[in-house]
Amino acid sequence: MENHTFEICLALGVVIPLISFTILAFFGANAPFGKPRAAYLALGAIASSCLLATYVLISWYGLSLEQKAQLTQEAFRYHWADFGSISIDVGVKLDSLTIIMYFMVTFIASFIHLFSIGYMAGHSDEVGGECKFHRFFAYLGLFCFSMLGLVISSSLLFLFIFWELVGLCSYLLIGFYFDKKFASDAGMKAFITNRVGDFGFIIGLALVVMYTKTFDLDAAADAFAQQFNAGTGIFAASIDLFGWHVSGLTLATLMGVGLFCGAMGKSAQFPLHVWLPDAMAGPTPVSALIHAATMVAAGVYLVARVFRLLTPDAQFVIAVIGCITLTMTALIAIVQKDIKKILAYSTLSQLGYMVFGLGVGAWTAALFHLMTHAFFKAMLFLGSGQVIEGCHHEKNIMNMGGLRKKMPVTCWTFFIGVLAIAGFGIPGTHIGLGGFFSKDEILAVAYERAFNMHAEAHGESGDSHGDNDNHGDTDDHGSHVRADVGDNVQLASAGSNTTALLAVQSANAMASGEGGGHANGTQAKMDIAATLPQLPKWMFWLPIIIAYVTPFYMMRCWWLTFMGKPRDQHVYDHAHESKLMYIPLVVLAVGTVYCSYWVFRPMISQASEVAANAPAVVAFDGKIHDYSEIPTHAMMTLTHGEGMVNPHTALAYIVGISWLIGMLFAAILYWNGPKLAGRIKDAVPGLAFLHKTLENRLYIDHVYDFILVEGVKTLGRLWGWFDTNVIDNFVDLVAYAAKGIGVTTGRQLDMGVEKGDIGLVDNIANAIAWITYSTGSGLRRPQNGRIRTYVLLTAGAAGIALLFVLIWSMSSDATEVISAASAQ
Amino acid sequence: MLAVGLQHYLILSAMLFSLGVLCMATKRNAIGILIGVELVLNSANLNLVAFSKYQTGTGDGHIFAVFVILLAAAEAALAIAIFMNFYNNVRTIDVDRGDELRG
Repeated sequence: MENHTFEICLALGVVIPLISFTILAFFGANAPFGKPRAAYLALGAIASSCLLATYVLISWYGLSLEQKAQLTQEAFRYHWADFGSISIDVGVKLDSLTIIMYFMVTFIASFIHLFSIGYMAGHSDEVGGECKFHRFFAYLGLFCFSMLGLVISSSLLFLFIFWELVGLCSYLLIGFYFDKKFASDAGMKAFITNRVGDFGFIIGLALVVMYTKTFDLDAAADAFAQQFNAGTGIFAASIDLFGWHVSGLTLATLMGVGLFCGAMGKSAQFPLHVWLPDAMAGPTPVSALIHAATMVAAGVYLVARVFRLLTPDAQFVIAVIGCITLTMTALIAIVQKDIKKILAYSTLSQLGYMVFGLGVGAWTAALFHLMTHAFFKAMLFLGSGQVIEGCHHEKNIMNMGGLRKKMPVTCWTFFIGVLAIAGFGIPGTHIGLGGFFSKDEILAVAYERAFNMHAEAHGESGDSHGDNDNHGDTDDHGSHVRADVGDNVQLASAGSNTTALLAVQSANAMASGEGGGHANGTQAKMDIAATLPQLPKWMFWLPIIIAYVTPFYMMRCWWLTFMGKPRDQHVYDHAHESKLMYIPLVVLAVGTVYCSYWVFRPMISQASEVAANAPAVVAFDGKIHDYSEIPTHAMMTLTHGEGMVNPHTALAYIVGISWLIGMLFAAILYWNGPKLAGRIKDAVPGLAFLHKTLENRLYIDHVYDFILVEGVKTLGRLWGWFDTNVIDNFVDLVAYAAKGIGVTTGRQLDMGVEKGDIGLVDNIANAIAWITYSTGSGLRRPQNGRIRTYVLLTAGAAGIALLFVLIWSMSSDATEVISAASAQ
Repeated sequence: MLAVGLQHYLILSAMLFSLGVLCMATKRNAIGILIGVELVLNSANLNLVAFSKYQTGTGDGHIFAVFVILLAAAEAALAIAIFMNFYNNVRTIDVDRGDELRG
């Protein structure tokens, strides 16, 4: 008998917030749930989920790798229904990634609930009063339910269902102040933009189910790998999709990109990023929970979950999108004035880093970044909530300044958040906050992919042999040299040289990885390894540059808010700090400092090992794409010492102190408020133009507005014109014709007759009129214009008809019986 | 254990249908009526799928049901648009107030 304790705990933790939601939704407005009690109920629900999550986390942490792998294998599955030959299972996905995500969501949600009690007490009274207060906590409960459900789903179908549910919650909470036009507009914008992404998601989902015949995440990935190695299934298929003929690898890529489209909507990546800044119209705790820490990370989580279904081309698309997003939004963040908008754009930029990381194959690093980001961004948003609340809804940082004296706790916890997002750390040591390690790890992998492809390809075999860091790296380095020699000296035979190298490597991967039985897979594997694209150089340099921009805009935000002299005396005089909201800020700050490296990194690297049931992340072709063991520069310099020639040593000094340079620059520039920066902007030609462009979000919203909104309106006007001028005229013409005919015939038949004639036509007409009139007045009584009467009449008539049919069939049965009897 | 057969579905569907009609006949709130309509449509869906599963064995009923769902979505969109206009004219969505067309 298997032990399902973990699954039960996790599932229970999902259901508890739902119960809280149900109670609050139906009875929240009633007397026993006065203002604070509604919040306590919701807080209690999520806190008990968090306790369950803590229990699971601690027990899971104590298990050995083999036990974890076994538990993952035997995780609970319930056969729910069949869809043709495809079975739909309800199950819990049990691995390190699920558990750590689950813990992160419940932990942050608990403290945000706590924060909300203080925050919403002041905010809900503006509109709707009591009614709004419990509704807020009901929505939060629904959100927690959906988000946790999304995390533990083992099947893509349920993942999609919960995916839509979190979208709904996001819509409800963005538009929480629905009586304000901009808030309800922002909610709609978020919902509709997500719909665009979900369209791609559905296509991807349909392709997965069509070719792998399963909804299960693991089974689908296994089937996909098998199909690739055997060249069957999706790789032998070719279909017409929207009039576009796709087949084989392209179709597989399209599938991956389709799934990524969903992530693009939810994680707000480049073409669909427009909704996230507007989503700041919601209450600040919501921004912290949904639009910074958890829901927007769902897209990244999805990509991580379906990573084995992504072809190299699909990964490349993901990397490009991530790279564009992280660059563009970081630049926009520099010029924003609204404290929440700055945080929103920095969230976008960090999400870009995560997506970029997944795209280049830095699975572990990207998820590590997700976790650390969730903590410090939730804290930053709560800090901004504290500031906005304390300054009486002043959001413009230009009117703040000097607030450190009025709200010291907020100031310094916010500063820890700034340090974390800037990537504070000292290269060469273990000292540093989460952002330092996670961001650097992503960049290290990007470096590998942009400059060092062959070495990486061979390094895998080293990694798959053993976990010894040192050994793997030496191997890595040696092969790098060998590959270079092969390429440079013997250009003509370079191809065959590489092929031989890859053959060795794929044989190694097969021997150690899961795909022991695919003897004929070698050829295919070689092909795919050869097509794994080398990243263009700009995709390495842009994230590096943005690593300098990030500390700059975050420091600008912090400095203008808390340091310097007060710029608006009125705001400053009335500023205060709410004691109720201390605890969440301090706890999250401690979490940011503590959990950053020591807890999450090992958990996630274990997740990558257990997730695919192999020593590393197994990519879609069954080949091991393990970038997780590429050490970060901090580790590198420790393991290799000073003398080693190593790319990461250089990287350490390029990126490692970016936080210091960026923050110092911002501090100097904004030492005395924004005046100096303004003068520089006016003095340097071109800068003002750049500033304006960035302030208008690169005009992307304008373009969407022009093409989509105006386009639809123009189309509507066009059809309106067609309606009034063409169709109406035609109808008028018919009417005129009928009138003309009537007049003519009337003269002939009716008016042309002699006096005293009875007038046949008239009489007939009168008779018909009389019949119509009397029938009409008879039927007039039931026509009272009430829908309910009509429905009743219709239902009654249908009932009578049914009765007749029954009687008739019974009597005809009787006749048959009689006729049968008489025949005897 | 009792096996679930066609008639169970039919009974459930009949109940749903009756509830839907009742809802349509008793509610004065336009949204309530819309919900009643949805219930009726879904009872029809249930019938389609149940018959398709137990009688024909083909997927036709499923496809019909999907079409009905699609139709219901379109209908809801349209109905709500009508309610909005109704509200603009009468300042309420009590359908009994919309009886200008009575005989």
